[in-house]
Amino acid sequence: MSITAINQQLLRAIGVGIAVVRGDNLQFLFTNEPFAEWFGKPEPDATLPDVLMDIDMEKVRESVNETGRFTGEISVKLKRRTLVIALSISSADAEGNNLFVVECQNITRIRELESMIDSYSSMVERNTRELEREKERVERLLLNLMPRSVYEEFKTFGVVTPQLYESVSVVMLDFVDFTRFSSTHDPTVTLGELNDIFTAFDRIAEQFGCERIKTIGDAYLAVSGMPEPSPDHMRAVANCAVRFIRYLERRNQSHQYKWEARIGLGTGSAVGSVVGIQKYVYDVFGSAVNLAARLQAFAKPMAVVAPDTMKEYLVEEFHLDDLGKQEIRSFGEMRLMRVSPGIELARQAGRF
Amino acid sequence: MSKALFDKYGGFKSVSRIVMAFYDKVLDSDQIGDYFDEIDMPKLIDHQTKFISALLGGPVSYSDERLRRAHASLQLTHEDFDEVSRLLQESLAEHGFEPQDIKIVISEIEARRSSILSAGVV
Repeated sequence: MSITAINQQLLRAIGVGIAVVRGDNLQFLFTNEPFAEWFGKPEPDATLPDVLMDIDMEKVRESVNETGRFTGEISVKLKRRTLVIALSISSADAEGNNLFVVECQNITRIRELESMIDSYSSMVERNTRELEREKERVERLLLNLMPRSVYEEFKTFGVVTPQLYESVSVVMLDFVDFTRFSSTHDPTVTLGELNDIFTAFDRIAEQFGCERIKTIGDAYLAVSGMPEPSPDHMRAVANCAVRFIRYLERRNQSHQYKWEARIGLGTGSAVGSVVGIQKYVYDVFGSAVNLAARLQAFAKPMAVVAPDTMKEYLVEEFHLDDLGKQEIRSFGEMRLMRVSPGIELARQAGRF
Repeated sequence: MSKALFDKYGGFKSVSRIVMAFYDKVLDSDQIGDYFDEIDMPKLIDHQTKFISALLGGPVSYSDERLRRAHASLQLTHEDFDEVSRLLQESLAEHGFEPQDIKIVISEIEARRSSILSAGVV
């Protein structure tokens, strides 16, 4: 077998479509099987543009002249499939004749796989976005259960180390006659009322540098000075307390249901931690909390009661009434005072 | 259960092969190939990738309502449906799916027969 014959056999056998056309009249000199399969066997006097309909010969010549090669893509509809064929046309010389060699590769599969990857990645991206949103929802939920700095610790280390805060203040509020109200009203009414009021309290607390820790039924507990230490924690809780009362007073003027609350302030040390493994609750414990709870129970409706030890921090801003020495369970005898808005605050309130 | 199928058989890596095999079979089928004659390739691939991923419990889900809308204009028959089901079974079997898993997949698409054939076929 001659070298030419072997070359021809080889060209027929490979999966790349090959055609050789004359440079002058673009008539076919040779086509192999794959080429014929994709574009049909050319008629004896057919030219390249007759067979490759979409091809722009001007561009081909230009590109071959400049770079020695033209590359492009054409699509062919074969039965129901649209084949994507990558074309590469280069020039060649054979015994003084100028020729074009046309190489064609079927890249349909590659294009199909690309489409599939696109489709799949769009699904995955959508899923990722949904997970992201879900994560944000969970985060928001957890931030309702614990302060952000505690949440960050929890997220990073998986645990929260109980931490002792030497100096914090607590405000504790409880409604007067709540039990009676809730037994005589529809639970949804009770809940709606609590929701409305506690939401307002949350805003006030945030504004004055307190953090709500929890509500237990109708009791509302917020702290200042933890987890972020604050030099102003006593004034912060007092500010919240008098504004809680003022909010209720204003609300009672326009709402169907009238609410009265007792408020106790406490100051001292407290430990904050997440309690539980499956059901996380961030909670605070300690004398400051206990004291606030006791004084809240001692307070008259719509009054704020604080220990006398807070006096020097509050005296400038608030109106303080001495309540004398009182016996407080598990704290013994202690001097108490009633905290009301100071002149400045009362004057501001009067304006609205 | 079908969540496990997607993972059990190697996720997207094997799903892509099943999609390709299924795509070829569907186009070659005389029963249903014509439905896909005018649809361009990326759209058809997209459809089949999602379809097969969803059936195997991959990261996509089709509501029955969406299936209904997608097929509403096609006037499909039970024979068409059976053909797709058969081609899918073939594709899965050729890619090493165990018989009981094929059964699960087929029961998944059977459950959607009425949504897919909603255009008045009894």
